[in-house]
Amino acid sequence: MTIREMAQELGCELVQGVFEDIELTGGYTSDLLSDVMAHARAGEALITIQAHKNTVAVASLANLPVIVACNSRPIPPDMIEAAQDEGIAILRTKETQYQVSGRLFALFAASADRAI
Amino acid sequence: MPLLSDFHNHSCLSPCGSLEMSPRLLASTAAARGVRLLALTDHNSSLNCPAFDSACKAAGIIPLFGMEACTLEEVHVLCLFGHLDAAMAFSEAWNRLLPVIPNVPAKMGDQVYVDEEDTIIGEVEYYLGVGADLGLDGIGTYVHGFGGLVIPAHVDRAAFSMTSQLGFIMKGPWAALECVRIPPATDTLGYPLTTSSDAHHPEHIARRPFLLETESDELLPNGPDSASGIDMKALAAALKRRPRG
Repeated sequence: MTIREMAQELGCELVQGVFEDIELTGGYTSDLLSDVMAHARAGEALITIQAHKNTVAVASLANLPVIVACNSRPIPPDMIEAAQDEGIAILRTKETQYQVSGRLFALFAASADRAI
Repeated sequence: MPLLSDFHNHSCLSPCGSLEMSPRLLASTAAARGVRLLALTDHNSSLNCPAFDSACKAAGIIPLFGMEACTLEEVHVLCLFGHLDAAMAFSEAWNRLLPVIPNVPAKMGDQVYVDEEDTIIGEVEYYLGVGADLGLDGIGTYVHGFGGLVIPAHVDRAAFSMTSQLGFIMKGPWAALECVRIPPATDTLGYPLTTSSDAHHPEHIARRPFLLETESDELLPNGPDSASGIDMKALAAALKRRPRG
């Protein structure tokens, strides 16, 4: 499933569309950026409510190609600008992190073989 | 005369700080803009404070040392010390509480520390923009143990603040609360309020200082050249005189 396919499946608004539409490997849900840095894996979608520029920096460091901002969080212009520079997609949804994670987990079920 | 003060500034050690922000540039620019009591508060580290000490002496202003610590909740908190040695001891201890995540300078920014002539003398190889393994309920006591005082940073901002991470202002042993704007839009529970520049680039230096009702001899009872540093009780007392929300 690519980023654009995921956006379509989730019915998300595409807030930042300058990115390479690569294949996703899964998702990581967290609102603590230190936790994202420590545990997210390259190629995963980041599901969060932390909608600010630092989230882009962390996604860049961890090689996460897309940020899904939940609860209709406003996306500040400097976040969009930073994401454009880094080629990281930003999607926005009115759904919660729980709802998005559940739906993504089902979509990724076939490949959801992360070790615990 | 009240002291024009600015307690929240970054240098080239902070990954998000400009590489040209040497402690010397910070101190000389702030002094030229009228600041007389200035703190250096890089993210989770005080390694540029020795150079900052020399720079403030050269610029004729009073230094405060410390860091902008990031707690377990990813709330930013200013930890301030009147003496360089106390700040350095705290910094060393605090760094043992940080998760070790390698920094990637090309993506996250440089983390270099310099000597008093702006020559780079070292680089922190783990990322400083992380949350430590200590929460808001413990940081006050921890910092007090090193003789410092604690001011939660930009409590009215939408990232890395009590408001963004908790949704409310938590009670604690705070000497004051730092706001981007006074009056803040959030309930600050009657704590004294400060503003601060949170300078990351030269153009931010001294953009939001505040007035502290005190005199330099009150803060430095043994004189400006004394090795004993700022009297932190006098500083805490002066902060109590700041406006409250």
